[in-house]
Amino acid sequence: MSKASHLDSTATGETQPRRIFGTILDQLPSWLPWVLLRLLSGMGVVLALSFIVFAATQALPSDPARQILGPEADEAAIVLLRTQLGLDRPLPIQYLDWFSRVARGDFGVSLDSNVPVSELLARRLGNTLTLLLCVVALSLPLALTLGIVLALWRDSRPARFFITLLILVKATPDFIIALGLMFVFALNLQWLPAVSLMDPDRSPLAQAEFLVLPALTITLGSLPYLIRLVRTAMIETLESEYVTQARLRGIPEQALIFSHALPNALIPVIYGVALMLSVMVGGALIAEVVFAYPGIGSALNSAVQMRDLPLIQGAVLIITLSVVLINLLADFLTVLLTPRLRTAESKVLNFWRRSYRRAVQPDSSRGW
Amino acid sequence: MGSLLPGCGEQSPKSGGASSATALSSSADEKPRRGGRLRLGIIGGDQAGNLDAHKPFNTGSIIRGFALYSKLWEWNDDMLPKLTLAEFAEPNADASQWTIRLKKGLEFHHGKTVTADDVVFSILRLTDPGLASPFSYLVNAVDREGIAKIDEFTVRIAFKKGIGFSPLPSLWVNFGGIVPTDYHPVTNPVGAGPFKYKDFRPGERSLFVRHENYFLNGQPYPDELEILDFKDQTSRFAALVSGQIHLANAVSPDQIALFRDNPRARLLVSPTYAWNGFYLNTAKKPFDDIRVRQAFRLLVDRGELVKRVFNGEGRIANDLYAAHDPTFNHDIPQRLHDPDGARRLLREAGVGKLSLELVTNAAGSNAAVVFAEQARRFDIDLHIRQVDEATYNGSEKADWAISTGGSLGLPYLAAAVSIDGPLAVANRSNFYDARFHDLIHQALKEPDVERQKTIVHEAQRIQHERGSLLIWGFANALDGVSPLVGIQAERSHFPTWRFDRLWLREDTA
Amino acid sequence: MSASLPKRIAPPPHWRLILREPFARTGLVITLAVIVFALAGSWFSPHSPHALLGTVYGAPERAALLGYDYIGQDVLSRVFCGGRSVVWMAAGSVVLALLSGVGLGLLAGFHRGWIDQVVVWWMDVLHAFPHLILVLLVVSMLGRDPGLIVGVTALAFVPGVVRLVRGLTLGVVNQEFIEAARLMGYSRRSVLFVEILPNIVPALLIHAGTMLSWAVGILAGLNFLGYGVAAPAADWGLMINENRTGLLIQPWGATIPAILIALFALGSNLLAEGAARASSRLEEQG
Repeated sequence: MSKASHLDSTATGETQPRRIFGTILDQLPSWLPWVLLRLLSGMGVVLALSFIVFAATQALPSDPARQILGPEADEAAIVLLRTQLGLDRPLPIQYLDWFSRVARGDFGVSLDSNVPVSELLARRLGNTLTLLLCVVALSLPLALTLGIVLALWRDSRPARFFITLLILVKATPDFIIALGLMFVFALNLQWLPAVSLMDPDRSPLAQAEFLVLPALTITLGSLPYLIRLVRTAMIETLESEYVTQARLRGIPEQALIFSHALPNALIPVIYGVALMLSVMVGGALIAEVVFAYPGIGSALNSAVQMRDLPLIQGAVLIITLSVVLINLLADFLTVLLTPRLRTAESKVLNFWRRSYRRAVQPDSSRGW
Repeated sequence: MGSLLPGCGEQSPKSGGASSATALSSSADEKPRRGGRLRLGIIGGDQAGNLDAHKPFNTGSIIRGFALYSKLWEWNDDMLPKLTLAEFAEPNADASQWTIRLKKGLEFHHGKTVTADDVVFSILRLTDPGLASPFSYLVNAVDREGIAKIDEFTVRIAFKKGIGFSPLPSLWVNFGGIVPTDYHPVTNPVGAGPFKYKDFRPGERSLFVRHENYFLNGQPYPDELEILDFKDQTSRFAALVSGQIHLANAVSPDQIALFRDNPRARLLVSPTYAWNGFYLNTAKKPFDDIRVRQAFRLLVDRGELVKRVFNGEGRIANDLYAAHDPTFNHDIPQRLHDPDGARRLLREAGVGKLSLELVTNAAGSNAAVVFAEQARRFDIDLHIRQVDEATYNGSEKADWAISTGGSLGLPYLAAAVSIDGPLAVANRSNFYDARFHDLIHQALKEPDVERQKTIVHEAQRIQHERGSLLIWGFANALDGVSPLVGIQAERSHFPTWRFDRLWLREDTA
Repeated sequence: MSASLPKRIAPPPHWRLILREPFARTGLVITLAVIVFALAGSWFSPHSPHALLGTVYGAPERAALLGYDYIGQDVLSRVFCGGRSVVWMAAGSVVLALLSGVGLGLLAGFHRGWIDQVVVWWMDVLHAFPHLILVLLVVSMLGRDPGLIVGVTALAFVPGVVRLVRGLTLGVVNQEFIEAARLMGYSRRSVLFVEILPNIVPALLIHAGTMLSWAVGILAGLNFLGYGVAAPAADWGLMINENRTGLLIQPWGATIPAILIALFALGSNLLAEGAARASSRLEEQG
């Protein structure tokens, strides 16, 4: 892998400031096609997924009408509800109908609860984003500190022990971590509420006691991965030629770490955080179920079980949109942080390569 | 770890449990206290449900309905209908007409008086094909054209083709919420129930406030009622013992031991007639042969099923539902575990090694596992297929040879009409017996309980001798209760839903 | 880096080299122990895993060293018999993901052009949908069939494998020795299989170890949510779910299977870790 390759441009030292300044001016318009193309492809992804999920829910062996009406419903009632819901129309027409209404901002009404989907999802998304914000605020500083420490003391005994501990945490299934935290902090010590029964009229941040356990569960699940990214990137940078040169030039170690190595370590961390967030926007299901946290993942899961089409469609749209935006943001941040990429001649050609880099999953090709 | 898991050295429950639990209703002379916000945690599963009085999709919706809507009748402590909003309700001689008169001075949440117009509106709404209520079939026999307002407070109801409908109260009560003529399930969810609507967050929580003009004076007691949805029994238990909720209805039987000697939550046990059993499909081999059906009823070890599936909290049943109904035939001897008899019947039927698929939903899974193990001793291989609710209630439901089943403990005729009788929509076991149908029709026409009794006794004998249900047990309703709650044990399914009776001993935040 | 000779990036680390890593040794021992236990366990099972012997959540006694479960079955017997499905399902989904992912990744990386773009775009589509929900969606649609669960779990891993393989292939394809091989007249296929594939095997093996631990986690999570293998099967994941309510009453029914599953994931993780260390060490030397 060519991860070190973008580092050498910064090694040439003195000409740097002028070059960067110049390139920003020169290249500013040429960002645009790159961003636009990424955005376009992202929208394509969102649309494709929304259609696939739509078609899949229609292919289910049991239809929403029967699922909603439940055990004793007779056929006549089911047929009638199907017509009322418009489920008897051809698939593409149903989809176009849904799409044109979404374009006008109308997400429809949940089949299950009769409540507008937009109202339901807005709140759930808000809760999920707040939770993820806490996770980032918790895990980013932790990952950076621990990653750097582990990189500096790479072969020491405590570091090895700590790494083994992290691998152990990583190997423990999420729900065991969740239940374990609940038993210790809620039932035994009684420091925190067992489940997150938040007051819907107040902001989630104003009732932070409900956020702690779910956030801690997700953080523990993703921390090993992030720490490892930081550590690997730090080691790579510290061993790179330009740091060696800088060291030879007598730049103090501390300055090396914080002004040279750390910025470089940030790039994989951005990708790591983006990857984690994009998985967690819809996939924090286990923490949501255990702590009864009203997030968007459990809303989607329930909607799938209930064949609640408008809710499924709305949730899928929002989740995939978030994933695409998060990835775009991560790419964008990386471009800003990496001089070499900004000055590369052809962003458009480089485009696909950039999009896969994000998840090359540096963790699996490189050790601790 | 030891201190985290206080139960690890404990002996598992015997059949008791009730003993430790009944203690809490000893507060009979204690005066109910006004005020506070009562919190009930329910297992909503994946279905969020709604607020519709006549189309509640799931248990959560039905529970919310208990708070919002009052009915002409309600279930009494013994699971039989008793008058509430109605002061009079009687059928004519052949039960082809009912006359119902409302109490005076009843008020809806928005201040309007409850009148005959509202009753007519409510029954028309429930039976409206356009509403497509899954429960309209219960009162399918009601003739929509034959509903007449006699005066401001009196309504007369007639039935299609003049058939008799003596069990009207027990079939109408569950989904018979009386709502005003300007009712709307989303924008105006108004009823005459003990609590009125304040906030509804689907799949999460719903909030209700006290109905000041509820028809029972001074009731309900709490200022507010909050119903919270959980997906996981363990989390709900944690919420109960840590004081986040006051009540947890329908606790899973394997959690019983958690309540033993627990100062923070007690178990309320209500013996009910919720039946659990298996449908033996008379339209499928080998159950088209009566001898095989009887053999299955003999080979089942009912006591073991009660011990394992209910964790001892229940009683064995005699292949008949509604043992609490006054018309129930208690002279039919209890069928017991009889391996030799079962083997003989199977031999006579020419059945050698049997291999069948036993279809179950999540609720019946444990019973299926235990029964499959029992059947194995008879060279019968029951392969369990667990399906989701949608499939379980789907169009194939009457095609499975054997499937699990169960329902609330409804009175006899109400149960017969919905399970295996002539009007049953979901006759899973395809039981059609001319004499049995005849008897049920006769009983429907008979308003007098004493005369109904002789008819029902014969019908039950038929079900016992050649019926298609293997009913092995009646379950106790188990509810988790905080010591802060004033509550009474009863013989119904819903002591925790009696929102007009429950009260809080002290305020919590 | 002065050599003009064709040089391969990261030649496959020799097994002995991997085993020199303490992480890998520990990992191998743990993984093998769990696999052997899972495969051979049923021979040592004292009772049938379905026999109804004790009381609901009965405490451990001489006849049942780990007590009884939610319905009175012997926990120890079910532990002995319940590993097979976990092992084959986890391994199956990893193998399936590797086969399809490597195929697509090679295709994309080797041909580049529009094929590449199409593959990568579809991987973006797959990646944008939460894994767990994807599995739940399909399982709730088509039933709790073990084969199906394996298939969908694999599907969730495919984008990761494709990205890895494609990236490595692009790297290798640009190396001089591939150019040289082509110039020497080797066919595309032989270039692909003789030159490229061996070069990406080490990274793949490492990734496979990581995926194995993910698979174990996903399968356990599925069981937790009630969508895994169905009763009455003896299965570690299912056992955790069945006996979860008894966690505070008779903990062994849920904790022992959980520990075994965690050990399995730990072992495969450590193995991947060790292999990765060996590989990077080799790179440093070369």
